[in-house]
Amino acid sequence: MKNEDYLWDRSGEPDRDVARLEESLSSLRHCPSPPQFPEAEFEKLRRRRASFWRFSSPRLALAAAVAVLMAVVGYREISSQRAPANAWAVTRLEGSPRLDSGALRRNARIAEGQSLVTDSASRARIDVADIGEVELGPNSRLRVVQTRPGRKELALDRGFLHARISAPPRQFYVNTPSAMAVDLGCEYDLSVDDSGAGLIRVTMGWVQFESGVHKVLIPAGALARTRPGLGPGTPFFEEVSAEFQSALEVLDFASDDPAARRSALRLVLEQARRDDSLSMFYLLFRVSDSERALVYDWLAKTLPPPSGVTREAVLRLDQSQIDAWMDAWGLDHPARD
Amino acid sequence: MRVGVFARPMQSHEDAACVAAAQAGDRSAFGLLYDRYASLVHGILLAHVPALDVDDLVHDVFLAALRALSSLRDPAAFGGWLAKIARNRARDYYRRAPRRAENELEDSLPGSGPGSTAANAELRAALSAIRELPQTYRETLLLRLVEGMTGPEIALRTGLTPGSVRVNLHRGMKLLREKLEKKAP
Repeated sequence: MKNEDYLWDRSGEPDRDVARLEESLSSLRHCPSPPQFPEAEFEKLRRRRASFWRFSSPRLALAAAVAVLMAVVGYREISSQRAPANAWAVTRLEGSPRLDSGALRRNARIAEGQSLVTDSASRARIDVADIGEVELGPNSRLRVVQTRPGRKELALDRGFLHARISAPPRQFYVNTPSAMAVDLGCEYDLSVDDSGAGLIRVTMGWVQFESGVHKVLIPAGALARTRPGLGPGTPFFEEVSAEFQSALEVLDFASDDPAARRSALRLVLEQARRDDSLSMFYLLFRVSDSERALVYDWLAKTLPPPSGVTREAVLRLDQSQIDAWMDAWGLDHPARD
Repeated sequence: MRVGVFARPMQSHEDAACVAAAQAGDRSAFGLLYDRYASLVHGILLAHVPALDVDDLVHDVFLAALRALSSLRDPAAFGGWLAKIARNRARDYYRRAPRRAENELEDSLPGSGPGSTAANAELRAALSAIRELPQTYRETLLLRLVEGMTGPEIALRTGLTPGSVRVNLHRGMKLLREKLEKKAP
């Protein structure tokens, strides 16, 4: 009979298998050594804290003055920006952002259904519950769609935002006119132009960019474009050339002209580096049957498929085989829903 | 006293205080966090990348955590947040060099090569079998068997519930026994 308490907390009679594994694996145990971390990083933290305290007292005083003023002006005047308990703090960073149709007041909160709008000279920040923050850039419009526990959702209709989130995956979503960004524990920039086309750039962690049509997983250092009606395109790393990016746009969104597509694919195949295998795997899904064989050949030559993954299965876009191939090379892929 | 299987782990107020002090730029507080959480990061990385590279990556993970520390809103969530950075760093390790395949993991173990002993062979077999397990079991078992953490400690450090850790340990160990039995000569 195995002693399960020993596995749990080492109490009771040692389980023979567990004790043997502990002994044989113990040489791999972490040996702590004094860490050498740059003083500059601690200095940054100290300066940040100092600036917080330097400004917090005047802020509090001003907030008190504003509260008195608000009381004088009257309840009705301020009621338009009162919000439910699950609303999020929103702060003016620059210029004159607007909350719905009114000027953004100090200590304002934004609730489901409300929108935050900036002009060319304004910026604002939303504290997304206790999971992170979103900075909204100039010329932007952002709506709060959901604030419930487990799902926080914004919609960026146009403009630019920077999101920094520390939460378990799939709790924070940003919708755009052409794709949804699903946070997997990350930091990223997202922009949307007036046509609804978007660009995401991930700076830390991973983001899943998805529409009803396509789903791509974008790691730190990579970007992906999106187009209304077409969803996200092929992700690519920021070091690739402008020609490479343009060629991907042709293949993803722009052209049914066979000559233009052939030319774009030729350029991609010529310029792709081993690191660009991320792009090439996703490109399998964005090209025609005949083009797919060329992409497969590039991948098979660069990252040979593991046993069990066949050319035929990949060419017919067998998702499990493509996932297995990516897994074999340590490349992450979107989890199946 | 046994920790209830389905109870939330006790929050480590002391750790949260250390995180808050480190966020204010206190180097010694960050050093304490390193001492307390380095094993967690080491165990998670060991589940994903070659053993010989793990120590360097532990340092990378803590450096990334230090640089992002001001963005951590809930000091009590430090362990889970740090674990996420470690997993992301492991993914980046392969993304930046996809040539590195999972099958290199075993080749890089200490003691590989002509001078390998029977004990090293056993170590390689055990680690190889653990690495074939699903990620959740793999990480929890490595924290228990390599890093020497108990189930309650794993729960406290990772932010998982003791119930989840207990399930991961027992299911993972069951699968591991089966794999090792199959591999036994």
